[in-house]
Amino acid sequence: MKFGKRLKKQVEESLPEWRDKFLSYKDLKKLVRLTSAAQPCSRVEAEFVQMLNAEIDKFNAFFVEQEEDFIIRQRELQERIKRVMEDDGTGGSQPSEMEHAKEMSRIRKDIVNFHGEMVLLENYSSINYTGLAKILKKYDKRTGRVLRLPFIEKVLKQPFFTTDLVSEMVKECERTIELVLPVADRGQSEQGGKGELVAAEQSVFRNTIAALMTMQELRKGSSTYGHFSLPPLSLPDLQLPSPIPILQ
Amino acid sequence: METHSALPVGNLNMQQFCNSGSSGVMSSSLPVLPNTLEEKFPELPDPQHVPLEREIQRNPLPSQRPLFSSPSGFSPDLTFSSTLAHERHTNNTPFVSRSLNAGVSLPSTYLSNMEIFQVPNNFPKDPTEITWCPDSVQGMLNCSDGVIMGNNQIQNSSNKVSNDLNKQNEWWSDIMNVDWKDLFDDTTISESQPKVVYPPAQSSSNISKQQPQTDQSVPCHSGEVCAVTGASSSATTAAAKPRMRWTPELHECFINAVNQLGGSEKATPKGVLNIMKVEGLTIYHVKSHLQKYRTARYKPDSLEGMSEKTATQSEELPSLDLKTGIDFTEALRLQMEVQKRLHEQLEIQRNLQLRIEEQGKYLQMMFEKQYKSTMDKTHCSSTVEKPTTISSDQTHSTAKIDLPEAQNSSTDSKITEGFRQVSNKWKMSEVEPSNEKETDALTSSLPPSKHSRINDEDS
Repeated sequence: MKFGKRLKKQVEESLPEWRDKFLSYKDLKKLVRLTSAAQPCSRVEAEFVQMLNAEIDKFNAFFVEQEEDFIIRQRELQERIKRVMEDDGTGGSQPSEMEHAKEMSRIRKDIVNFHGEMVLLENYSSINYTGLAKILKKYDKRTGRVLRLPFIEKVLKQPFFTTDLVSEMVKECERTIELVLPVADRGQSEQGGKGELVAAEQSVFRNTIAALMTMQELRKGSSTYGHFSLPPLSLPDLQLPSPIPILQ
Repeated sequence: METHSALPVGNLNMQQFCNSGSSGVMSSSLPVLPNTLEEKFPELPDPQHVPLEREIQRNPLPSQRPLFSSPSGFSPDLTFSSTLAHERHTNNTPFVSRSLNAGVSLPSTYLSNMEIFQVPNNFPKDPTEITWCPDSVQGMLNCSDGVIMGNNQIQNSSNKVSNDLNKQNEWWSDIMNVDWKDLFDDTTISESQPKVVYPPAQSSSNISKQQPQTDQSVPCHSGEVCAVTGASSSATTAAAKPRMRWTPELHECFINAVNQLGGSEKATPKGVLNIMKVEGLTIYHVKSHLQKYRTARYKPDSLEGMSEKTATQSEELPSLDLKTGIDFTEALRLQMEVQKRLHEQLEIQRNLQLRIEEQGKYLQMMFEKQYKSTMDKTHCSSTVEKPTTISSDQTHSTAKIDLPEAQNSSTDSKITEGFRQVSNKWKMSEVEPSNEKETDALTSSLPPSKHSRINDEDS
């Protein structure tokens, strides 16, 4: 139940076009409940498996497509940065400098959001995996069968869970951002109060915060803590800004 | 289920390889630029060399695609994989038989997806469900042979420990994906369709478009097409284009082709396809990719999805002037912090999940081994170890195990149940007494005891 709520919340906070791509946890749970505990028949199990496979296909399709988009966008961002860097060399006059600065800001915003989206895709993958694992566990518990272990193994190899490329792109993006964001002195960070609120409005950012919070809660430790559970999440020094925007 | 015992080694290594590979990679994107970027963006040393650098990194790939070259950390994978490659190179038949396991264990994601369909095969009524019939695997492997032979450079595996590791990773996942594309090529798979299995027939017809060619494509070698087909066939996706998994290298190749043709507006899918010469790439892939590319180029703002939304939502950023303000960059920094943190945690979590599953698999293997060995023991000798304990638990065992004894499948499940409960017991802080009893009953009342009972009765 808790996961279901968390998932729902995450979905609500997520980017609109993503919302129907998440795991249909509730529906799957219903199916599990309907499964007779006494005699799990093969037909029901087949139906369950079928549903799971459909979900997995959904994840894969969405994930791969997003990945493709990211690859394209990353390249384009790099092009833009390159162009902006080059531009500065040639021109020196005032108007182009202004344009330059504007473009630079745009690039920065875009690249940070781009980074955020990629991380959110990773989160998407993770949360769907978690949901699958949970639902399989429920199924096994209810019916006494052993669907979970072999099934989850296959899940591990699915495209949507093999996030290595995205992860790599994220890291590359971080490196680029380091170079693109101006060096700020640490003293400025205290003045970030207003900026905090500004940023919090951006849906990517909100989504990210929601994801972190969800993760934290999910891993707080549960009553069914078992061999296959993850240890509790510790984010000791992270101060999450409130996602509620306060307009001036 | 039968293949699962064969899976472990290959998969484990695969995952480790990919994971540790990705974590260890530091591909150079803008490597040597100075860190101090002033506000005015002074000329960076070699901004133009950067893309060149990347290109250089990518271009040598075609001729020197080390198959499994990797740092020493992956040596177990090396031996596994290189023997596989070696066998592939020499003889077809051993490859087939060996890869009955290895082929299945080659981490083809959609291969595994296919297997998902056959998970419920411990229902004894459906013998046809049993995993891969050897012919289907054979067919698959023949095709994959073709493709992999096409990468003739593979055999020259050098121990190039370099920043090619990154490329290897991607290439590796390409290969992973290529394999199951070939899998679908084989129409015999559709024959083994027990009632509970998702009909893969449509998907195989989908992929038949991408018949791999054995001749190697030089320019875009780095991009072996990863066909990610929706195995969720049925009527819905019967005509659907097979999904592809793009990589940055492949995209680079794509861009080159497009530029050769005069830009994204002028380039046609067919032209691009011909220039790219990537095996398995279809015009549909190129078409959709080209479309995305065009959109990305000419409407960068709208594609950065959020920018539009934030423009409308946030009134704090009314003019561009504000964007250069300190607050703005601070906001961005904050956002980056949070995002980075999330990313870190996700990585950690993912690794944990993989380890956990590995462990679980390992434990189960051990458990099964133990079960088998005790089974053998009881078969060998008429006297059983600890007859007294077993007999005392008999009532327990008969009470606990309601399923018919004859079926191996159910005992398998009970073993795993017992195993899981045992492992749960280890982990759980509070030990429930009923759980304990159950555990003891199960572990001691496993089939060996039943057999022993029978033996006792016989003797």
